[in-house]
Amino acid sequence: MPSPIAINPVSPSHSIFKKMSKSPTNLPASAASYLSAVSQADAHARARSLATTVTPTTTPPLSMSSSVTVFSDDNVLREGEPKMFDNDDGLSYPPIPPTSEQVFTTVHSEFGHCANEEYRFTSQHPPGKPVPHHKELDPPYYILLSTYISYMILICLGHLRDFFGKRLKPSAYTHLLPHNGYAPLNSDFDSFYTRRLKLRIDDCFSTPVTGVPGRTIICYDRETQDYNANLHTTGRRTRGLNISSYNYLGFAQARGGCADAVAEVISRYGVSCCGARLEGGSLDLHQTAERLIAQFVGQEDSIISSMGFATNSTIIPALVGKGCLIISDEFNHASIRFGVRLSGASVRTFKHNSMKSFENLLREVISQGQPKTHRPWKKILVIVEGLYSMEGSIVDLPKVLELKKKYKFFLFVDEAHSIGAMGAHGRGVAEYYGIDPRSIDILMGTFTKSFGAAGGYVAGKKNLMDHIRVRGHSGPYAEAMSPPVLTQVMASMASIMGVAPEPPKSANGTSSNTLIPYPGPAPAHMLPNWFDLPPSLKDGTEGLIRLRRLAFNARYLSRGLKKLGFITYGSDDSPIVPLMLFNPGKMCAFSRMMKQRATPIFTVVVAYPATPLVTSRVRFCLSAAHTKDDVDLILKACDEIGDWLDLKQGVGERWSLQEIMDRAVELVHMDID
Amino acid sequence: MNATLDYLSYSLENLETGFYKIPGSQVLARYVKSSHQNDPGRTLLEVILLIFVIRTLLQSRTRADGSGKHFIQFSEREIDELVDEWTPEPLEQPLTERESLDLASLPIIAGPTGPKPKLLGSGKTVMNLASFNFTGLAGNEHIKQKATEALRKYGLGSCGPAGFYGTIDVHTELEKSIADFLGTEDSILYSQAFATVSSVIPAFAKRGDIIVADRNINFSIQKGLQISRSTIRWFDHNDMKSLEEVLESIHKESRKRRAPLTRRFIITEGIFERDGSMADLPKLIELKHKYKYRLILDETFSFGTVGRTGRGLTELYNVPASEVDMLIGSVATSLCAAGGFCAGSSVVVKHQRINGTAFVFSASTPAALSVAATEAISIIRDSPSILSTLQENVRTFRSILDRLDCITIPSHHASPIIHIQVRTASASSLLPTAVPSSASKSSNPTSVLPRNPQVFDIDAEERLLQEVVDDVLAQGILTTRAKRLRGHEMSEARPSIRLAISTAFTKKECEKAATTIKTSLVKVLGKRR
Repeated sequence: MPSPIAINPVSPSHSIFKKMSKSPTNLPASAASYLSAVSQADAHARARSLATTVTPTTTPPLSMSSSVTVFSDDNVLREGEPKMFDNDDGLSYPPIPPTSEQVFTTVHSEFGHCANEEYRFTSQHPPGKPVPHHKELDPPYYILLSTYISYMILICLGHLRDFFGKRLKPSAYTHLLPHNGYAPLNSDFDSFYTRRLKLRIDDCFSTPVTGVPGRTIICYDRETQDYNANLHTTGRRTRGLNISSYNYLGFAQARGGCADAVAEVISRYGVSCCGARLEGGSLDLHQTAERLIAQFVGQEDSIISSMGFATNSTIIPALVGKGCLIISDEFNHASIRFGVRLSGASVRTFKHNSMKSFENLLREVISQGQPKTHRPWKKILVIVEGLYSMEGSIVDLPKVLELKKKYKFFLFVDEAHSIGAMGAHGRGVAEYYGIDPRSIDILMGTFTKSFGAAGGYVAGKKNLMDHIRVRGHSGPYAEAMSPPVLTQVMASMASIMGVAPEPPKSANGTSSNTLIPYPGPAPAHMLPNWFDLPPSLKDGTEGLIRLRRLAFNARYLSRGLKKLGFITYGSDDSPIVPLMLFNPGKMCAFSRMMKQRATPIFTVVVAYPATPLVTSRVRFCLSAAHTKDDVDLILKACDEIGDWLDLKQGVGERWSLQEIMDRAVELVHMDID
Repeated sequence: MNATLDYLSYSLENLETGFYKIPGSQVLARYVKSSHQNDPGRTLLEVILLIFVIRTLLQSRTRADGSGKHFIQFSEREIDELVDEWTPEPLEQPLTERESLDLASLPIIAGPTGPKPKLLGSGKTVMNLASFNFTGLAGNEHIKQKATEALRKYGLGSCGPAGFYGTIDVHTELEKSIADFLGTEDSILYSQAFATVSSVIPAFAKRGDIIVADRNINFSIQKGLQISRSTIRWFDHNDMKSLEEVLESIHKESRKRRAPLTRRFIITEGIFERDGSMADLPKLIELKHKYKYRLILDETFSFGTVGRTGRGLTELYNVPASEVDMLIGSVATSLCAAGGFCAGSSVVVKHQRINGTAFVFSASTPAALSVAATEAISIIRDSPSILSTLQENVRTFRSILDRLDCITIPSHHASPIIHIQVRTASASSLLPTAVPSSASKSSNPTSVLPRNPQVFDIDAEERLLQEVVDDVLAQGILTTRAKRLRGHEMSEARPSIRLAISTAFTKKECEKAATTIKTSLVKVLGKRR
């Protein structure tokens, strides 16, 4: 699809980020010092790389400590402070130092430096091709069996410990048993899973962090004296590669155009708007942002909600009620289920992403009507997610829309993960498939992920949005989104879209709103007039680079893992890559081994109840902030740990790690079905 | 023929030896033999029982769809026809005239909010009695500076739920400082105030548990109750006698039925969102201890607004906050940031970190906003004058508005939100705040409606009140009706104008605003007679 912002030819010798010498006016006051720090850092990196022939991708011995003992947050550029960070973890400097041509404006540890134009890809479903059905590979039987046995042992041991514990150490169980006439808040039975299974690997969850959740993240080290019952921070911190945060486009940044805009709004607006949208909490910023979002997703209008979870839980009840039916994918997010329960409508679920099961269900429910009475349903709302956060699978939208025509249901697409992350211009799953977004009744999404902000939105027809504005739960009761968050949303969105210069005033003075192309740049009049983005964000080049870097990283990792022999789920284009572990014991082993590497890698492991019992997994969330070297690093780590943990159970052609790393570009562009 | 018989007997023999090889099978065989000998009918019965068990086991799996009692078989063609015939209702209903008028006249603030914001459109600077800026911290320079510092350290978004690298140190700090401020063991942050209580309730109360709730609880609590699926009993609004009766009746009933011990909760609000009245905390604590209930107290409007230093109801009544099992408050109102919290014992908080749906499945609050809240707490802690000025301003408003006899103000005298309702002439609602005093019969605890509910004409009263709001706005004072989702709440709240008083006003401003509102009320409500 030709795009108005894609045609800006970026010559390969050019840095992706505009040379700073061209844009001194748009920088903060400290620009000069900032720049000198940048060049110092680069010089330092070059010197280092000359001195040590070892590139950081070759992993130093495991014994090397990588903890960060001192941390100064005031330094503009962390690379500029070699005393603060030695490069033991290989995260501070890019392995290949930048040439004097390339000047990067981002902090490498927040948003990696990658100037190689080859490491780019476009997230787009090849037009005309059928949507591939990803067969989810089953592991060999011995893995399944050992998984079941593991759970059995865990459960038996747990019950044994409970049995003896209650008799020998009753004081430890008082809060789980009725006492003093109160029923326990959480009975020993209800909490069994948490206490006896999850507690064992609690060190892998809820790690306290500090700093920017960008390309790297700094975690507090924790220790325990009582088998995870209490985890204490030791005061030491470890920096590691972050492939866990939902930072798809790398907008989690403390520096740069977006952060500057947010700082500006804090000084202009403060941090709060003190009320609900319908009760005096509406700011001009809300209106501006809603118009921009509608333009971004290609709908008539949109509504913002201050919390992503609450977007679903407060809007679904405004759409359907008693006598209506909701058809929901079995793996839909908890917030959707919450909203569905609040709405009072009936619910039916279909097998995840199975269009056959979906159509059968549609035929059944429409022909049968409401249970018992057999009256026809008032309306049927189908809720699917664009990209499933635990599976990495993408909804088969073309087929859903085909069925929509035939069965006349309303379609609600939750793009919490796909907005910004999918499609050539980041407009989500509709653009990915080349579908007109207006053929979908309601588009919902969140700002937490690709935009580095918080909250969510719904977008649709003007009438429908007004209906939700007045009758949704958020309008009268929930606090409105605060100005800094709104600004982060607008700034990041505008830099994905690019800003079109003010159109010449037409003679008859008609508004040009209807003529704005989709997916096109944001008209300047849709942004607050004090908005001053740096030129690389304004012309959309950086946004485009981010999208293309993410698309490359996503494909590279998921295909690389497959070539290494791992079982992964979901689509190759998904920035979420779940790697199957199956055995519960491998979860903590994997997570801890990744953490203890010379370059620590922080991962998310998920298991029951978020996934089915047997398919425990580790979930990688890629980001545009990662460089190809980072993905290499992850592949290398997985390769080694995968051998240890016997994870390479996949089928198909295998490549060696070196081959994958060398042929990365080829691998990404390959046609695999 | 013979061959088949041979084969049959051979396989039977095989089966028999195989059966006897199973350890314990001898015992079973002996049992079957002897029971058959004693009572051949019993064997038959047991076989039938076995078949029945197998049948029910198999049936329960396929019950879900397709084979229910009410399922009708259709041919494919019939289904196609039915699909063609079916026409759904439209997804949205067009707004009523009033609704679209309301939406169009919605005041929108241009620029920063605060005590005196500028309105979009007219460009007029107005006095803001609509936004919750009780402590006057909106736009506080110190907070702004701290928030900017946090932004430069953490970026804005947290990019993940608390479980997956979304627990930033500033969240822990805010949790600690809230717990410290209130005097509880711990607290937990949610990223939206509205979502807090509706997530806290179902984290603890499940099907079969008992919840005793006030009849006038806010919408968010109602949603929490709905999700929890617990057994709900209602007591009359803010009526401790009614509460005691309900508790007593539940107690008797469960004794009579020898019901198993379940979790029991009393749910009410500190200052009620619907009318600004205040709960009688000491009595609540007494009753909760007496009947062994846990207390969930929503302090959204009382936290940071009442008590000498703004610690809320517990400070006002001098009750240790640890007596309240789950104390819920908002970070978005008095602290002028975003989010909500639940404070309580560490067991209570820990439980929510795994079971609080809105906590687990939602990204954590942006760091800059958490830092702003932490700063707000320390400012409130250090300057008690904020609270005394606020109370002074509330008194000023009340002293002027209370004397008006065309309205009723159900709000408590210390409440920073003042609800103004139209006083109707009919005798039944002359005492809207007072309990229907006919002591002879109490309301039905299973119904959310009291025995003799107030009668009011929502539409007419809303229209009148909106007229007042518009009139007052024309004179430079921004107020708002308390907006409600009519038809979605469990019981309808009486229409009201809700004033939110701020500490940022001077006494003179308050007097002037109150007088303006008073004049306007007299003018509009007087016209109607």
